[in-house]
Amino acid sequence: MLSQPDIAALLITLKLAGTTTIILLLLGTPLAWWLATTRSRVRNAIEAVIALPLVLPPTVLGFYLLLAFSPDGPIGATTSALGLPSMAFSFWGLVLGSAIYSLPFVVQPLQNSFTSLGRMPLEVAATLGAGPLDRFISVVLPLSKMGYLTAAVLGFAHTLGEFGVVLMIGGNIPGETQVLSIAIYDHVEALEYSQAHWLAAGLLLSSFLVLLMIYSANRRFHLMKIT
Amino acid sequence: MIKANLQLSKSDFKLEASFSVPGRGVTAVFGPSGCGKTTLLRAIAGLEPEVTGSLSVNTEQWLGANTRRPVEERRVGVVFQNPSLFPHLTVEENLLYGRKRLSKVTKPIELNKLIASLEIENLLRRYPEGLSGGEKQRVALGRALLAEPKLLLMDEPLSALDLSSREKLMLLLEKFLQEIDIPVFYVTHSSEEVARLADNLVLLANGLVTDHGSIADVLGEVDGELSRSDTAFSVIEGQIATTQLPGLISVDCGAGIVLQLPDSTSMPGIRYQPGSDVRLRIRARDVSLCLEKPQRSSILNILPAVIAQLAAEPYNGSRVVKLDMAGKQLLSKISEYSVQQLGLKKGQSVFAQIKSAALI
Repeated sequence: MLSQPDIAALLITLKLAGTTTIILLLLGTPLAWWLATTRSRVRNAIEAVIALPLVLPPTVLGFYLLLAFSPDGPIGATTSALGLPSMAFSFWGLVLGSAIYSLPFVVQPLQNSFTSLGRMPLEVAATLGAGPLDRFISVVLPLSKMGYLTAAVLGFAHTLGEFGVVLMIGGNIPGETQVLSIAIYDHVEALEYSQAHWLAAGLLLSSFLVLLMIYSANRRFHLMKIT
Repeated sequence: MIKANLQLSKSDFKLEASFSVPGRGVTAVFGPSGCGKTTLLRAIAGLEPEVTGSLSVNTEQWLGANTRRPVEERRVGVVFQNPSLFPHLTVEENLLYGRKRLSKVTKPIELNKLIASLEIENLLRRYPEGLSGGEKQRVALGRALLAEPKLLLMDEPLSALDLSSREKLMLLLEKFLQEIDIPVFYVTHSSEEVARLADNLVLLANGLVTDHGSIADVLGEVDGELSRSDTAFSVIEGQIATTQLPGLISVDCGAGIVLQLPDSTSMPGIRYQPGSDVRLRIRARDVSLCLEKPQRSSILNILPAVIAQLAAEPYNGSRVVKLDMAGKQLLSKISEYSVQQLGLKKGQSVFAQIKSAALI
């Protein structure tokens, strides 16, 4: 069954994915809203930047983050000037890396959801006396439930499976930065196939269940369009 | 008064709307499709951020050189062309959405009374998804009214409905819009809806207001855009007469004028109670003129009239003639050839043959 370090890796992975998802939902909401409503010309450039993690090898992202975390890098210099510990090989370094890595998986579903709402429900709410924030809370959020569910699940699941970025900036410290995917790799390296199986099959099954949940919920919500 | 002087330039469209209409009653915004009616309505509501100029509604300045009141502070009720209920809220929650956001409820519109007169009391717990188009529009109207608007804007609210629910909602609107003490702007391209609902008229063509004023004044302008168009019509008010001829409906318009119409009603008993007020829409092209009273004609309505005005010049071979029938105004559109042949002049007595009139 699972060994002590495996359980630690599982907990760290869940904590990492959960923290990253919450941060991404908070930051992704205004970003996706801006992308869905702006007519600015820089929108295309911003969209391309957000989509970069979809195509870049995670090691590229990890490499540059590692450079940025170094004492001479912009992030490392800032943290040391503020008297904070270095982010390299730390949990919060992983959170930052994961947030960048999973950003498109959260922003894109939110943006699609906001775009498909159209301006109609917002205009109706405005004529009925609702100010901008009120409109967002009373109309946009409830009508974007499906978008938020998709964004949260994809962001969480994608962070669960991350490997390359963590390998570059995490340092594989058991109990601190060792996540599931790396634990599996270590087991395979050490020819401990049965332990690798427990983790790998568990990850496979839980990912499948999560996606199954999204797709069935998606079908159920599908009819709920503005009428 | 509602005074507007609005300009808006879009890439392929320009709106130049300058008009003033009384701050009460129903003002129809009338014109062909694509003339900018909806854009004008959106500009009034504050939904077009690029609009410039000025707009005042009764005592309030909504748009001016230094003011631009945001939509949510204008208190403008809008009923859009396509029903726009919030799908995540029940009918009741939809109805109360705007009312809940009022800082204080000043006009105690009785909720139950409104719900009853809109005939939506059985829908309150339902979600919009399963409602018919007519039901959705009635809920949307109720929702707008419960927010106590200072101005109610309706953008072709009947156009997305099928024929029978259209007629049903129309009957309701006729009663309703006269009862509420809120000015209404009603966008339509249907002359029937204008004739049935409007007190005032704003005519729009290619983004330009071509005429505005009371419905009688605008309709009676023989050289106006509307008179020149195919849809030129007059509106005559009357009451269903107490004595009826078989197969006909008689409408007493006062001053001895009684018009007869074939009884083609599909809903007997609803609107044709003797004594009930009705409006008649008579198309100008359905009115012809004779110098002597024709005998043994199949035309039911032949009435003496005096020529009050002739259009200054013919348009597309026809000329619009404004007739005075004991104080009632009636437009006739006849060929320029006939005008010359009969030698028609202002002040001349003629007989108007009304080929058909629609009870509306």
